[in-house]
Amino acid sequence: MGSISDTLWDVVICGTGLQQSLLALSLSRSGKNILHIDPNDYYGGAEAAFSLQEAESWVDRLATEDKGLFRSASITKPDVAGLSFPRAYSLALAPQLIHARSELLSQLVSSRAYRQVEFLAVGSFYIFKAPLDPAQQPSLVRIPSTREDVFSTTAISAKAKRGLMKFLKFVLDYDSPEQRDAWKPFVDKPLVDFLQEHFKMDAELKAYIIALTLSLDGRISTEDGLSIIYRHLTSMGHFGPGFAALYPKWGGISEIAQVACRAGAVGGAVYMLGAGIKSMATATDEVELELTSGDKVKTKLLVRGDGSVGDEPSISRLVAVVGSPLKSLFESTIEGAPTPCVAVVVLPAGSLTISGVANTFPVYVFAHSSGTGECPNGQSVLYLSTMATSNSKEVLSRALESFFSAVDHDQVPQCLYQLYYEQAAGVKQSRLDQLTLDLPGPSLSLSMDDTLLKHVREAWKKVVGDTVDDAEYMVFTDREPVDDDDFE
Amino acid sequence: MASDDALPTLKILLIGPSGAGKSALLMRYCDDEFDPDTAAATIGIDFKIKRLAVRGKPYRLTLFDTAGQERFRTLSTSFYRGAHGVILVYDISNRASFMSMERWFDEAKANTVEDVALYLVGAKLDKASRSREVTQEEGLALAEQHGASFCEASSKTSENVRRPFVEIVNQIVQTPGLLTNATAKRRSGTVVVDSTTNNGYFLPNCAC
Ligand SMILES: Cc1cc2nc3c(=O)[nH]c(=O)nc-3n(C[C@H](O)[C@H](O)[C@H](O)COP(=O)(O)OP(=O)(O)OC[C@H]3O[C@@H](n4cnc5c(N)ncnc54)[C@H](O)[C@@H]3O)c2cc1C
Ligand SMILES: Nc1nc2c(ncn2[C@@H]2O[C@H](COP(=O)(O)OP(=O)(O)OP(=O)(O)O)[C@@H](O)[C@H]2O)c(=O)[nH]1
Ligand SMILES: [Mg+2]
Repeated sequence: MGSISDTLWDVVICGTGLQQSLLALSLSRSGKNILHIDPNDYYGGAEAAFSLQEAESWVDRLATEDKGLFRSASITKPDVAGLSFPRAYSLALAPQLIHARSELLSQLVSSRAYRQVEFLAVGSFYIFKAPLDPAQQPSLVRIPSTREDVFSTTAISAKAKRGLMKFLKFVLDYDSPEQRDAWKPFVDKPLVDFLQEHFKMDAELKAYIIALTLSLDGRISTEDGLSIIYRHLTSMGHFGPGFAALYPKWGGISEIAQVACRAGAVGGAVYMLGAGIKSMATATDEVELELTSGDKVKTKLLVRGDGSVGDEPSISRLVAVVGSPLKSLFESTIEGAPTPCVAVVVLPAGSLTISGVANTFPVYVFAHSSGTGECPNGQSVLYLSTMATSNSKEVLSRALESFFSAVDHDQVPQCLYQLYYEQAAGVKQSRLDQLTLDLPGPSLSLSMDDTLLKHVREAWKKVVGDTVDDAEYMVFTDREPVDDDDFE
Repeated sequence: MASDDALPTLKILLIGPSGAGKSALLMRYCDDEFDPDTAAATIGIDFKIKRLAVRGKPYRLTLFDTAGQERFRTLSTSFYRGAHGVILVYDISNRASFMSMERWFDEAKANTVEDVALYLVGAKLDKASRSREVTQEEGLALAEQHGASFCEASSKTSENVRRPFVEIVNQIVQTPGLLTNATAKRRSGTVVVDSTTNNGYFLPNCAC
């Protein structure tokens, strides 16, 4: 087998986050010579999933070296029994939901990569309700997700129901010329303002709608918000009754990245982990790289992920392993629906009090059952996210406590393990030079952001040039061979 | 012939160091082919399907090759998911390949379920008389140490090529729970994404 230094590579891809991995998948039938490396010794980059051991070494490394987008990482293990062995866990750094109508899913299907991924249903969305009387317990109210739901729910008034139905009908048609006129004046203004002005919604109903957008600051624009709710509604039922979004088993996006990389390897790409770029020198039509592994390689194009910090604000995340299955969150509400493995709980702005001050931004809790394979049976994993502020760590701790007292009034669940970290937003644009292409940073969005896919496609185009028709992008046939029998 | 869907599907992996003879074993077993000149890592094969009857009952085997990801030890955890059995391959004419097996056993065990079926194969048995570097006893001892079955085989002469596959399937189907657990789990919560129901809009046309 030739050494990697003897080859003039068509592309060296550095990093195995979602975008780079999808690029490897898209090029897996191109016949190009591809070397795919990652400075980390694990797949997935900012979308990786970790065992407890891997999480620990990740936190240790963050403490000693600058890891660009991540900081303030720490692990807390309360002094209680119940944690299983480290590999029984797979904690996702970026536990994004994927809507059924996501372009990512279409690409995974057309490229046949989906066969190696197990998709699970994301079930109900809940709103956390602080008690009016502080002596009472807080509660979780399920956001109605189907028409029948809206009618049968007792959580909202008849007037609110009519308002909700009116809004939902509007959204399904929001891009038509007539409806556009209604929201045009609010295009860049917050969706809450539009809901207020145009639909006269009360605070509670507005909170429901904003929760569905998963907007981290709660101030999503009318245009973006309507498009996200449109996606949510049209995704509902797309792959079966009762759910709008999916989650890949075993760690979410990380799994997709690994499957895409395997597709790259099957197509002939060479994989090296623990090998970053130490230095590079550019000649007229090739880049020479010295890798941290000591190898020197030459390539016609280098594709990297831009690891620098962008302009948008950071977020704070808390991953908590819980010693209870939180069963009530994962019941399917519709007959024939698959058992959901993910539930979303939203604690709206103002629903928590930290040192006498209400939280400015909502906190999103993604609850994952052991069905995700991310924890052993009888436990669950909670992923909390909120905008990073000077006290966001306290906000998340308080959110966790409040969630616990709302989810089970009889037996408050126990937390077995906590991983806290902050993640800065990356740059939003890709950058193309003669011989290098930097893909944008990872998305902080809580649901899969399809706009990232267009950068991958551009990178693909850059590599294959005009030799391949655009329509062939990510469209592959199965590699499965013809069946063969071995019967005596 | 029973339709494919009706057959229980077993996922079996072939792992081991580069050049040990994994792909040759797979090609010989599935296609009865052997190409002495394919020194390069195998390209283009994701997995192969073979239907095999053991104890009169047919199974559908999906046999996964490493796709060269073993070269720098970059097999992903997702590769191992749902595996019922792992065939670990070394080259009897290459001592270093045998010495690396301890790590391959560790990796296989770390990434699969507890009762996964393991099978150790000493490949290139035809080279035994001229350039054997690992004795059969050493292979057997290592296999026993890891609770694995063992045989030596040659993809060149076809000797023993069927044996690891038949025996590992036998081992899998005789392990209570291994097959049913993995298969049943897959069914219950999994969403099929290559066909849409197209009838699930939030608001169907209704007169309300
Ligand atoms: C299971 C395994 C474990 C390894 N462990 C280490 C390690 O702990 N430290 C390290 O620096 N490199 C290790 N390597 C080797 C490293 O990946 C080699 O650089 C690579 O295999 C290619 O070496 P080569 O081209 O010199 O091949 P060759 O020297 O021609 O190797 C021939 C065979 O021996 C295997 N081999 C080579 N070196 C080792 C080794 N050290 N241990 C076990 N098998 C080996 C190769 O995979 C190959 O099958 C390991 C490789 C394997 C497959
Ligand atoms: N003499 C002999 N040579 C064999 C046998 N099996 C494989 N080989 C040769 O050994 C070399 C490596 O075999 P492969 O099957 O490609 O090995 P592999 O483990 O798949 O290696 P990678 O594809 O690099 O992972 C090839 O040149 C084969 O022709 C065998 O049984 N006898
Ligand atoms: Mg091979």
